[in-house]
Amino acid sequence: MAEGTRCSGDPLVGAGALGEALRALLPHTKEGLRLDLNEKVERSVVMLLQEAAELFYGGRRTECLQRSEVILDYSWEKLNTGAWRDVDKDWRRVYTFGCLLKAVCLCEAPGDATTVAAALRVCDMGLLMGAAILGNILIRVAAVLQMHLLSGKRPAQGPTLEQPNPKVSGLEYIQEIAGCRTVPVEIGSRYTDEEWSQTLMTVNEFISKYIINEPKDVGYLAQHQLFDQIPELKQDISIPDYCCLGNGEEEEITINAWFGPQGTVSPLHQDPQQNFLAQAEWFHKLEHSSSQADQSKEAVQWRGSELGFWNQTGMNTSSVMINSVIGRKYIRLYSPQESEALYPHDSHLLHNTSQVDVENPNLEQFPKFAEAPFLSCILSPGEILFIPVKYWHYVRALDLSFSVSFWWS
Amino acid sequence: MAEERPGTWYGFGFCGFGQALGSGRGRQVHSPEPLWTPVAGVDICRVSASWSYTACLTRGGRLELSGSASGAVGGCRDAWASEALLVLLRSRPGPGAELQGWAPGSVLRGEPLWSQTVESEAAGEHGSGGEAGARALPLLPSASAYVSPRPPFCRPLAPGFRARRLELGAEHVLLLDAAGQVFSWGGGRHGQLGHGTLEAELEPRLLEALQGLPMAEVAAGGWHSVCVSETGDLYVWGWNESGQLALPTRGLAEDGKPVGGEATGLPEEGSEVRAAGGEDGAPTPFIAVQPFPALLDLPQGSEAAHASCGSRHTAVVTRKYGQLGHKDTTSLDHPCRVEFFRDKQLPVEAVTCGPWNTYVYTVERRKS
Repeated sequence: MAEGTRCSGDPLVGAGALGEALRALLPHTKEGLRLDLNEKVERSVVMLLQEAAELFYGGRRTECLQRSEVILDYSWEKLNTGAWRDVDKDWRRVYTFGCLLKAVCLCEAPGDATTVAAALRVCDMGLLMGAAILGNILIRVAAVLQMHLLSGKRPAQGPTLEQPNPKVSGLEYIQEIAGCRTVPVEIGSRYTDEEWSQTLMTVNEFISKYIINEPKDVGYLAQHQLFDQIPELKQDISIPDYCCLGNGEEEEITINAWFGPQGTVSPLHQDPQQNFLAQAEWFHKLEHSSSQADQSKEAVQWRGSELGFWNQTGMNTSSVMINSVIGRKYIRLYSPQESEALYPHDSHLLHNTSQVDVENPNLEQFPKFAEAPFLSCILSPGEILFIPVKYWHYVRALDLSFSVSFWWS
Repeated sequence: MAEERPGTWYGFGFCGFGQALGSGRGRQVHSPEPLWTPVAGVDICRVSASWSYTACLTRGGRLELSGSASGAVGGCRDAWASEALLVLLRSRPGPGAELQGWAPGSVLRGEPLWSQTVESEAAGEHGSGGEAGARALPLLPSASAYVSPRPPFCRPLAPGFRARRLELGAEHVLLLDAAGQVFSWGGGRHGQLGHGTLEAELEPRLLEALQGLPMAEVAAGGWHSVCVSETGDLYVWGWNESGQLALPTRGLAEDGKPVGGEATGLPEEGSEVRAAGGEDGAPTPFIAVQPFPALLDLPQGSEAAHASCGSRHTAVVTRKYGQLGHKDTTSLDHPCRVEFFRDKQLPVEAVTCGPWNTYVYTVERRKS
């Protein structure tokens, strides 16, 4: 189903070259693979890591693969113990180490597309749950694997004379850059529902199951640092200049992607950081007329903001991208002063979330909600909304939509 | 209780560090193998298995370590193994005993990390329903405190408890008191506390769902909990991502192939019973998290006698024929008998799980 996949059993062209290309990314000797780990990582695990590295450089691929599975399973347990923010970073690095060895060992010998896809999935797991090691080597490994999977696919279509269908072309672009990558997807109308869950799938599967083929459920690629996982996508966005007005460094800005069909809902909630929400606007690289005009689009102003620094200059959210995805979001905002009228949940997990269904409120249960003042807007492509820290916000996608949010302090 | 006849320990599962598990060959043992002991004829009375090493305690008080930690030491009354800490209860001249915490790699060499004198055991080593007796670690013999692998290493229990048994999971604690009531506290994000929520509990909280049902045993896995009632009923709750609760799990259905112990899937948070649509739209109930105790039916309507939990697996001994219901490296989400013991007509009397392996104690049938 993923584009460009061959039947299992057919060796990929130049598969031996893949093993070489991967090896070239790794240090030359096992000493280069050493991780400096704190005392939280048990002695037995450190021994195992050393053993795995020795096996790898000793050419004992099957045994190294087996050890990397053990490393993965054990560190996975540590990653699942306690709150995520309390997980020691070194355990995540151990997990990444396991992913690295497993992915490379899987592709050492010539294998078919299924094996390479499995190795890419392992890389993605390391990128999603692990922490960077060896200069964030997994990004480079993933790029090599992805290139290998897609090689031989037909090249992207050149310029056409007629106006491309905005919806389809945008999706094609995403599928080309990120289609075979594994991402977290939320299933269910809203995260406050009992049936809501998260799962993993490739971007191609997500698009096929939850965007195009008459989806039975709501699926939302939400609040995911997609651009850290797939830096190639980063080339097509730029960090709003407004984010530099904060105290933090540029690296401390968290950039999340929000990609989903019409109808996705983020229930009314508040974030602990300042927030910019931008609707992506993408332009066909080879067309000129529309892009110039649209670059003069202003960002949507947050009316009544005490900051008052908004102007048109310096705002360049619409860097040149491929094809356009039209997507609008209906957004409603409530001041933190209205928090009581929004009836936040009691539980620790959901205390930043309102119990009220904004567009269909139960006013018997939540009477004060009816009187709470709010502001609302429709955020269209190329527009940016600034959401001050702790402001309650509710978002519903009016169309197939791709948004980018920037969290900063 | 019946007099103790000499028996044999078997082990199966992960032994990648060379810990005692049958022959000790290879990294995994899939079928039960007798535990190898350096001196023939020694009678092992307790096995405590951590992930990378196993501690075996003989009736004579000798402790044997195998795996990433090795060596032997005498004068031990009890032992409890974890990756960060090996806890020993050792005899000392005079009354009471000495509780010692060792770094596993340096047992017998140098000094323990800490040690303290503890009260002598309460009366009745084999008393049923009595106070904590011998071999109750991590519960101390006095039953007034327990050891933890993380500081503070010695944690007192509130004075009101008459604790009989205490078990530690990855982030939770289960306690069984003299009246057969179960308490739980700690992290609860996977429903392992059994109170019906995903919230943590800082203090011991009674499992109301089991109130009035006297329990005989509790067992804590990584993120799941099991208890056995005095009438042989089995209750399970907590995380079911690998089928460790013997309830249907989505992970095994969707993969279509055995997950084994090597799952790298992201856990599903916050979902309880979910109706998952199959291709034909017919809903199948999968259970990712079970936040209340659920009564589990064992095959052939068997009654449970003992239970033990690993990180992500569960082993149960049943009364009639000593079958085991457990998951081996092919993950299963329904109880499955270990045929080995049935084929050899070995009644199983006890089971203890390490994080990734299982140890089983069998007693030969009397020859008539």
